[in-house]
Amino acid sequence: MQSDPVDTDRLQEFETRIARGEKIEPGDWMPDEYRRQLIRMISQHAHSEVVGMLPEGAWITRAPNLRRKMVLMAKVQDEAGHGQYLYHAAETLGISREEMLAALLNGRAKYSSIFNYPTLTWADVAWIGWLVDGAAIKNQTMLAHCSYGPYSRAMVRICAEETFHYKQGKEMIVHYMSSGTPKQKAMVQDGLNRWWWPMLMMFGPHDTDSPNSPLLIRWGIKTKSNDTLRQEFINEEVPELLALGLTIPDPQLAFNEASGSWEIGPINWDEFWQVVRGNGPMNAERLAARQQAHDNGLWVREAVAAYAAKQQA
Amino acid sequence: MDTQWPRYEVFKQDSPHKAHEAVGSVHAPDAEMALLQARDVFVRRPSAVSLWVVPETAVFAITAEEIAANPVPPLPPIATHAQTYLVFTKTSQRRSMTFVRHVGEIVAATPQIALQLAMESGRFNEDAVFVWWLVPESAITRSEPGDIDSLFTPAHDKTYRQQSYYGFVSPTRNRK
Repeated sequence: MQSDPVDTDRLQEFETRIARGEKIEPGDWMPDEYRRQLIRMISQHAHSEVVGMLPEGAWITRAPNLRRKMVLMAKVQDEAGHGQYLYHAAETLGISREEMLAALLNGRAKYSSIFNYPTLTWADVAWIGWLVDGAAIKNQTMLAHCSYGPYSRAMVRICAEETFHYKQGKEMIVHYMSSGTPKQKAMVQDGLNRWWWPMLMMFGPHDTDSPNSPLLIRWGIKTKSNDTLRQEFINEEVPELLALGLTIPDPQLAFNEASGSWEIGPINWDEFWQVVRGNGPMNAERLAARQQAHDNGLWVREAVAAYAAKQQA
Repeated sequence: MDTQWPRYEVFKQDSPHKAHEAVGSVHAPDAEMALLQARDVFVRRPSAVSLWVVPETAVFAITAEEIAANPVPPLPPIATHAQTYLVFTKTSQRRSMTFVRHVGEIVAATPQIALQLAMESGRFNEDAVFVWWLVPESAITRSEPGDIDSLFTPAHDKTYRQQSYYGFVSPTRNRK
């Protein structure tokens, strides 16, 4: 890493602070690689919140009743706010919001692969709440413990709000499966068939294919590995899904009595990497929608700036 | 037009008897818009009675590590143009949604002097402070008590934003 003896001392002091459970705050010394990894992770995370508004936003006008519509609007507003919390956290590391937004719009930046799948039915809104937000909460609860103060605080705030997203989705699935029509139940099952595997991919590549993880864990950015989090989530949710009479689209899924874990079949990593590299079903459409929103917002930015200038004159 | 607007730090007060705490930042062309942005970003739920915004450039921030590396220099002999600085500190490493908290005021000519006076005053538990913020009172724009109805009250009716609205949802538990 660093060969400069001064930096070696500082690195040791830095790692000692992290081992003591201290938070690293803006202004504190940190290794360049710590800063680089955090900017990468936090900005990707922010982009995921922002792009994550699109699949669900598509259903606001088609929500089945006023209550569901208000809930969905509140949820999508939350995702916008979460993006802002995270851009703020990344800014404290010395990158500007403008640079991050430019990287998103020109396709250089990555965001969670899950949002490159389409929302074909209303049940998909419920599944995003239960499984996609549930998986995100799993990851974010871990990141709330992270060693960088601004990221940790954003995560604590987001987890508190995101729990509502998870519950409203789960409530919907439970409702449709317990008192819905056969057509509604079929819609729910169809959604699970399509979201199950992409949701498991959200936790990222297997530990053996995740080269950054050991360093991230050493520096207290992550505290659990991808596979550990994925397995915890599977163990928590599989019994709930089965209790509703749903079929999980994995013929190899089986409970291992010895380990006490639900074991899944192989994940299709080719699909994952295709989506990450921009070839998923909705990548182009998502970016086009962001660009359009940016362009359509121009007159608002101009109007607000003109008003501010007039107030100062 | 993509020029980035200035950043404003946002402080939120959750109830009249609690301190204002730093919750994050927004970008806006002026303080008035910053307050509105801050409401949208940080007050979507019923937990605010007051917001302050401060241009990021007006905040003097320093961590305990920085003070240890570069001890605060001695006071200059004459302090002119004294003004009131609000003192904010972070004194816990526990997980939190908030950063530094408003703990008092110091009158000084510069933020560096305000910091030194604050550290010497014995009022701020200085040995336990991990981060200090000094903010000139003149740089703060505050929501007015009359803004409460329009800025903060609407969130109270949106109970569906609260996870408690949904109770406990679990098909396995319900079956037992």
